[in-house]
Amino acid sequence: MKPFSNEPVLELRRADVRAELASALAESDGRGPVRVPVWIGEDRREGDELISTDPGQPDRVVAVAACASAGEVDEALRRAGEGAGKWARTPAGERARILLAAARGLRARRTRAAALAVRECAKPWPEADADVCEAIDFLEYYARGAIELAQGAPLLQVPGEHNDLRWLPRGIAAVISPWNFPIAIPCGMVAAALATGNSVVLKPAEQAPGCAQLLCEVLREAGVPADVLALLPGEGAVGAALVRDPRVHIIAFTGSAAVGLEIWRTAAETPPGQKHLKRVIAEMGGKNCVLVDADADLDEVVPAMLNSAFGYAGQKCSAAARLLCHESVHDVLVERLAGAITTLQVGQAQNLATDVPPVIEQAAQERVSAYRDKARAEGRLVEGAPVPAAGWFAPPALAAELPAESSILSEEIFGPLLAVERVRDISDACDRVDASPFALTGGLFSRNPDTVEYVAGRLPVGNLYVNREITGAMVGRQPFGGNRLSGTGTKAGGPGYLLQFVEPRTVTENTVRHGLVV
Amino acid sequence: MTIDAHTGVPAGSSALEAETQRVGHSIAGALPPAARHPIQALDGKAMQLASADQELKAALFRFVDVVPACRSMDDLARHLTGFLHEVKHPPAPLSVAMRMADSRAGRAALGAAAAAGVRHMAHRFIVGEDPRAALPVLRDAWKRGVAPSVDLLGEATVTPREADDYASRCAEALTTLTAATAQWPTRPRLEGDSHGVIPRANLSVKISALTPLLRPHAPERGQADAAERLRPLLRQAREAGAHLHIDSESLDTRDAVLDLALRLLAEPEFAAGPSAGIVLQAYLRDSPQMLHRVLNWARDAGKSRAQPLTVRLVKGAYWDHEMVQARQHGWEVPVFDAKADCDANFEDLTRRLIDANGLVRVAVASHNLRSLAHAVAYNRLRGGTDADLELQVLKGLGDGLAEALAGCELRVRAYCPVGDLVAGMAYLVRRLLENTANDSFLHDQAAGVPLDDLLSAPTPSHVLAGRP
Repeated sequence: MKPFSNEPVLELRRADVRAELASALAESDGRGPVRVPVWIGEDRREGDELISTDPGQPDRVVAVAACASAGEVDEALRRAGEGAGKWARTPAGERARILLAAARGLRARRTRAAALAVRECAKPWPEADADVCEAIDFLEYYARGAIELAQGAPLLQVPGEHNDLRWLPRGIAAVISPWNFPIAIPCGMVAAALATGNSVVLKPAEQAPGCAQLLCEVLREAGVPADVLALLPGEGAVGAALVRDPRVHIIAFTGSAAVGLEIWRTAAETPPGQKHLKRVIAEMGGKNCVLVDADADLDEVVPAMLNSAFGYAGQKCSAAARLLCHESVHDVLVERLAGAITTLQVGQAQNLATDVPPVIEQAAQERVSAYRDKARAEGRLVEGAPVPAAGWFAPPALAAELPAESSILSEEIFGPLLAVERVRDISDACDRVDASPFALTGGLFSRNPDTVEYVAGRLPVGNLYVNREITGAMVGRQPFGGNRLSGTGTKAGGPGYLLQFVEPRTVTENTVRHGLVV
Repeated sequence: MTIDAHTGVPAGSSALEAETQRVGHSIAGALPPAARHPIQALDGKAMQLASADQELKAALFRFVDVVPACRSMDDLARHLTGFLHEVKHPPAPLSVAMRMADSRAGRAALGAAAAAGVRHMAHRFIVGEDPRAALPVLRDAWKRGVAPSVDLLGEATVTPREADDYASRCAEALTTLTAATAQWPTRPRLEGDSHGVIPRANLSVKISALTPLLRPHAPERGQADAAERLRPLLRQAREAGAHLHIDSESLDTRDAVLDLALRLLAEPEFAAGPSAGIVLQAYLRDSPQMLHRVLNWARDAGKSRAQPLTVRLVKGAYWDHEMVQARQHGWEVPVFDAKADCDANFEDLTRRLIDANGLVRVAVASHNLRSLAHAVAYNRLRGGTDADLELQVLKGLGDGLAEALAGCELRVRAYCPVGDLVAGMAYLVRRLLENTANDSFLHDQAAGVPLDDLLSAPTPSHVLAGRP
């Protein structure tokens, strides 16, 4: 097998590559709304309980989904239990082969999948394409990882005994995925569980059932057995039912801190009859900070901050929310950023010139708007250009001169609002970051190697980016995940991730019979 | 061997090769001895030291890069020693420097010395703080037979105001240069060719500095915004009789820049002028297709223009960037990775351009003696006059070469960056990289490679590998 390498993103600087996107979108639109069934085994029950729309044009229906009932949750878990044994006994190489076939399947549908993310989640093309590439990367990376894991680990061997450490599937994984990486994140969690021999019940975000459906189709077509992967579209109640159920062994979740903590609590229960501890793999929120020291190259800071804070309207868990700036460059940087956000074009995701797409839904628009009002009242707010009236648009905005206790500096906003703070020095900035319960990503702009080392030692974050934007982690290159209340410290797309999905077993055999080593 | 259909001068013919050698030797003979420029020789020594040790080179570049952002001598010294700590085997003088940094007084002295060193190096490449300050140097070069093209260094343009500021600096530069150059003495060799008068005032502009909106994946918005600032400059250049050259940067913006330049120059209001130019980067694998496009434009849309388009052929200054970006994204590498392939392509493009010199003005920009000699030789064999071929060098890197070319009565222009130290650092770092690259002509020349080897024809890798 070829060593892992990342799936190349589209080279959108070339006009001929860009030209293909318009036709991909037209073709996707031509198919009409995606029908997303409750899909258990061979049974597909369609329905229209969930309607998924284009955030930029809310009257455009992208997907029509059934919503899993309590009975269907029960049935999905029963079938997953039936499928689990055989899948667990399937050799790792065979499971990996199926995941690699799924990678090929997704590759063959790249622009179609991206077009769906453009419509359903208002992901701009470059980011929608990157989302599909990351999904392919997860399939390729975990397939290889599972084969490696099946080799076991080297142990100390002494005469007369044979020691063997192996990893076994846990059983049933409930995967609860978000809408902001509508293909990559569910794909990563599902692929990791499948690669390690678990069966999977996927509950995708209610805002993105269409993307989840495409992912499940790809996996089933590649050869994932029908009773090893179930799709349960639905709202919070479906996820909650899965989390509570004693038949579930693994809960892989990516989403908000509030939901994540609730899952953590619920999963800790061991009702009578449950013979195991549930393993929770949670990637939660962040309040990500970028530190700018006096020796930073502001020419690089400005574009990197525009990308980090306003790319996909700030709706990435890795997005920059706070900019902590050395007092000697604070005013210059605020002025340049204030000018630069007026250059950002707010518009529809399918338009390649769009810098800031709409936020996911009306509630998000209202939430971000409330924080902007608060920033205006508490400090200084600079807003970008006016936004289109229809659709859930929010202007990119910069909040400065806020009081230290402002909730804008501590709460996750998940929208295009960046708060800038003046700091005395880098040590002061590190103190402020350290005060936060969140520790997902962080950034530093400095050209002093000693400063880089100091900050790398002090920031509690899971991913620190130096002199670059703080989003865009690549599988195999930047294993991704946060610490503290941002997550369980597991690293998606990194070497240790699959270990969360398996149980270790050490087998020691006495090889001495009648005093002879046999 | 290919034979050019139009001229009958075989590309690799013995006549062309012999003439190339002859021209090369005569230019080399006119090069000023290094001894006459002790300061340059000193810099050369530092460059040599840096190019011999990758870690030291990295430390030097990172230091040069951060100098303008340092707030005090103490701060400078701390950065310098921070970088030098990452060099595993520092040469003796650097160990002394690092020991100096242990005390506050030592750091002040070290910082001051290092700042002076960088400033000295910057002055070699950057002519002055602004066009007015640069005038004495430009005039002096002109008198010695070297015409200038002025380039205004600047910080990255990220706001509309910064784009406006750059545009007004360009406008001021045109005004300053037009007024000042009118007073310069006559230098017939620099002022005319078979197409007619060549403007004295010559300004190079960057589209990425004229707009904050140039996005590689959505060029139209940035083009429209840049056009609003470029048109007034074109009008001003037309009225003043100055030349405006549109520079190329990385491949991210290459198509956007070329499309915009060719579109605007074809607009009726610019039919009468100004004299203008674009850049062709020979390190790009698709540069032959780009030249094809440009020549088609010159035959078609550009035909009605009073002044022919100038095409400046360069190797290209973003090689590392293109390489890194392509590797990080898994894209096909757009540049030649073997120097000989790039050099061979440069010569191919040179010949095609000279063949087309009825349509365009040809400017060949290089510090590679072989590339320049080949251009001169081909042009002569084709029956052209030296007046119809412009040779270009960079101020600071090609000063001796410019002097030699002028001494050989060739038409030579130096690209002269103007601006302050902060703005010039990105430029300076790129030039230092180019100067210390192990495969550069300048490196070979400094290392004492024999002249005949320096002048030998590039052998493309497909020939070495035995493929057709």
